[in-house]
Amino acid sequence: MNPALQGLITVVLGVGGCLTYFYMSNRILDTVIFPAKGPNAGRNINRANMVRPWLFVFPAMAALMLYLGYPVFETLRLSLTDRSQGGAFVGLDNYRQMMSEDKFWEAMRNNMLWLIVVPAASTAFGLLVAQLTDRISWGNIAKSLIFMPMAISFVGASVIFKLIYDTRPEDVGQIGILNAIWMQFEGGVGSFLFLKILPAIMVLGFGLVVAYIAWLLLRPLMEDAKGEGILLKLLRIILAVIAVWLVFVSLRSLFGIFTTELPYGKPQTWLTLPFYNNFFLMVVLIWIQTGFAMVILSAALRGIPEETVEAAIIDGANPFQIFFKIKVPQIMPTIVVVWTTITLTVLKVFDIVFAMTNGQWETQVLANYMFDKLFRANDWGVGSAAAIIIMLLVTPILVWNVYNARKEMR
Amino acid sequence: MADATTNAVTEARGPKPRRVFSSTNIIIYGTLLVVCLYYLLPLYVMIVTSLKGMPEIRLGNIFSPPVEVTFQPWVKAWSEACTGINWDGLSRGFWNSVQILVPSVIVSIAVASVSGYALVNWRFKGSEAFFTILIFGAFIPYQVMIYPIVIILRDTGGFIGDVTGTNFRLMGSIWGLVIVHTIFGMPILTLLFRNYFTSVPEELFKAARVDGAGFWGIYFKIMLPMSLPIFVVAMILQVTGIWNDFLFGVIYTKPETYPMTVQLNNIVNSVQGVKEYNVNMAATLLTGLVPLTIYFISGRLFVRGIAAGAVKG
Repeated sequence: MNPALQGLITVVLGVGGCLTYFYMSNRILDTVIFPAKGPNAGRNINRANMVRPWLFVFPAMAALMLYLGYPVFETLRLSLTDRSQGGAFVGLDNYRQMMSEDKFWEAMRNNMLWLIVVPAASTAFGLLVAQLTDRISWGNIAKSLIFMPMAISFVGASVIFKLIYDTRPEDVGQIGILNAIWMQFEGGVGSFLFLKILPAIMVLGFGLVVAYIAWLLLRPLMEDAKGEGILLKLLRIILAVIAVWLVFVSLRSLFGIFTTELPYGKPQTWLTLPFYNNFFLMVVLIWIQTGFAMVILSAALRGIPEETVEAAIIDGANPFQIFFKIKVPQIMPTIVVVWTTITLTVLKVFDIVFAMTNGQWETQVLANYMFDKLFRANDWGVGSAAAIIIMLLVTPILVWNVYNARKEMR
Repeated sequence: MADATTNAVTEARGPKPRRVFSSTNIIIYGTLLVVCLYYLLPLYVMIVTSLKGMPEIRLGNIFSPPVEVTFQPWVKAWSEACTGINWDGLSRGFWNSVQILVPSVIVSIAVASVSGYALVNWRFKGSEAFFTILIFGAFIPYQVMIYPIVIILRDTGGFIGDVTGTNFRLMGSIWGLVIVHTIFGMPILTLLFRNYFTSVPEELFKAARVDGAGFWGIYFKIMLPMSLPIFVVAMILQVTGIWNDFLFGVIYTKPETYPMTVQLNNIVNSVQGVKEYNVNMAATLLTGLVPLTIYFISGRLFVRGIAAGAVKG
C-alpha cells in the first residue's frame, strides 16, 4: 500500500472514529437512555446533562487508564516477579540482585553526577545569556541561535558531539575539534594558563558558589527561624551537608589540577577516559538545555518591575549587586522551576548515553541500565526494578510539580 | 561610580556619553562571544563537514569551509547509507517518521482539544479527579510504563491478527507507535488546551448559548477560531516531540519500521567500513530538517511549544 494513502486512512479512521463516537454516544444518551420527552422529560434532561461530560472525557480517560495507569502498577508487579521461574512472586529478590551489581551503583553514581552538574550548568548559562543578551541589539539573534539545539533531537546532538570528541592516530591530522585544540598545547605558558589556571578558577568559583548556597541554607537555622516545619529544617540540613561535601570535593580537585601530569601532544580518546567521560556526555545535554533555561529566564527577567532596578541604581548599587540582590531574588521561583524541569530530564536521560557510549567505560546511567536489562538481558524483573528506582527518584519533584500545577491551573 | 559623580558636578551637559569600549561592554561581548562559540561551533562544523568530500576531511582542517562543495554525502545519507541491515539510507526512516507523525499528531490534538474543552465547559463532579490524573499522566517518567506497554501491544495486536485472520501486529509496526505517541501526548495537550480555554471570557460562552449554539457549535464557531495559536503550539509540541523521539522508536518498532532518529543512530554506530564523517553529519542535518524548518518558520510559538512540552514525562 502507498504510505501516503495508509497515513490518510489512519487519519480518517482516527478522527472519524472519534467524531462518530462523540456524535453517536450523545445521540444514544438523548434518545434512548434518557429521552427528553414523556412524563420524566425534565428529570431526564438533567440526568443526561450529568452524564454528558463523561462521554466526552471517556476516550481520553480510557486510553490513559490502559496505557498510563495500568502499566505503572504492572511494572511494580513485574519488579517483584522472576522470569526464570515463570513469573513467580519472589518478593524483593530483584532489588537485592540489582543492589549487588556494580553496574547499578555505577549508574546511580553517574546519575547523581548528572543531577548536580547539568541542571546547575544549564541554569547558570541560561541566566547568564538571558541577562547579557537583554542589553544588546543583536541579543535576539544570539538567543535564537542558542535555542536552536532544542530543535535537534538528542541523538542528532550526540552525533555532532561524537565528531567533536573524535580521535585519530597521532601522526595524522585530527578531525575531532577537541583533539585539534588539545594538540595545540605543548606544556608551555599558554598551556599552564588554559589547563591549570583557568580550570582552577572555575573550580574555585564553583566551590565559592556552593559554599554561599550552604551558608544561605544554614543561616535561618542559626537564627532559630520560627514557623519552619521540622521537615523543612531537615531538608535544609541535608542540602547543606551535600553542599559542604561539594565544597570539599572542589577543594580536593583544585589540589588535583596542579599535581596531575597532563599527556601533552597525544590525542586522547575522550569518551573512554573513565570518570571524565561522564562530563563529556553532560556537555551534550547542557548544550541542548541551555536554550530552554535561557528562554524561560529571559521572560522572567523582562517581568521584573523597572522601579526596583531604578531604586537600586539610585541607591548606588553596582551591576553585580543589581543582578544578584535585586534581579535574582525576584525571579527565584522561575529559577527553581527551570532547575527542577531540567532535573527531571536528567533523571531520565537515555538517548545521549545510548548513542554515544552505550554505558561502556563507566558511563552507565539508570535509564540505559534499565534498557539493558529489559531488552538485552531480557530480564524484566530487574529491568522493572530499575524503572521503579527511577520512578522513586523522580517522585519528590513529581509531587512538587503536580502540587504547583494544580495550584496554578485552578 | 565615584568618578561618575565628580564628572556630573563639573561637566554634566547633554546625554550621558556612551563609550563603546567600556569595561562592562568588553566583559559582556567577551562572555557572549565565548558562549556563542560553545553553542555555534558544533552547528557550524556539522554543516561544513557535511559539504566536504572524504579526502578533504582526512586532511584535518575541520574549521575551514569546503574547498569543493559536494552534495554527495547528502545523497548518500538519504539513499545509500547502511542502516544496520538495509542499504537504503535515511529515506525509509523519513517516510516511516512521516507515517507515524501525521496520524498521531492529528488524532491526539483532536481528542485532547475536545477533552480540554469538555473540562472547561462543564465543572462536573469528578472533573477535579480527572484533572489530577491528567497532571500525573503528563509528569510520570515514561520508563515506568515501557515494558507493560510492550505486553499490551503484543497481546492486542496478536489478538486482532488472529480474529481477522491476517498477520496484523501492533508490536513492531507503525500502528503500535502511532497509538503510543497519540496517548502519551494526550495528558499534556489536554492540560494545554484546558488552560487556554479557561482564559476565554465566560460571557462569550453564555452569549453563544443564548444564541442557541450547542456544544459543537461553540467549539467550532468560537473556540476553534479564537484559539488558533494554541493549536499551532500544540502541533509544534507534538511534531518536534514525536519527530525527535528515540526511546519509543527503538523499543516499539523493528528495522523495517524504524523512525528516522533510530536509523540515524544506526548509520552512525554501524561498525562496517570507514567512518564517513560527512555522511554522518549530512544524516544528522537531514534528521533535524523538519524541526529546524518549523523553528525558523514559527519562531516564538515554537519556543512556547517546547517550553510547554519540557515538563512531560
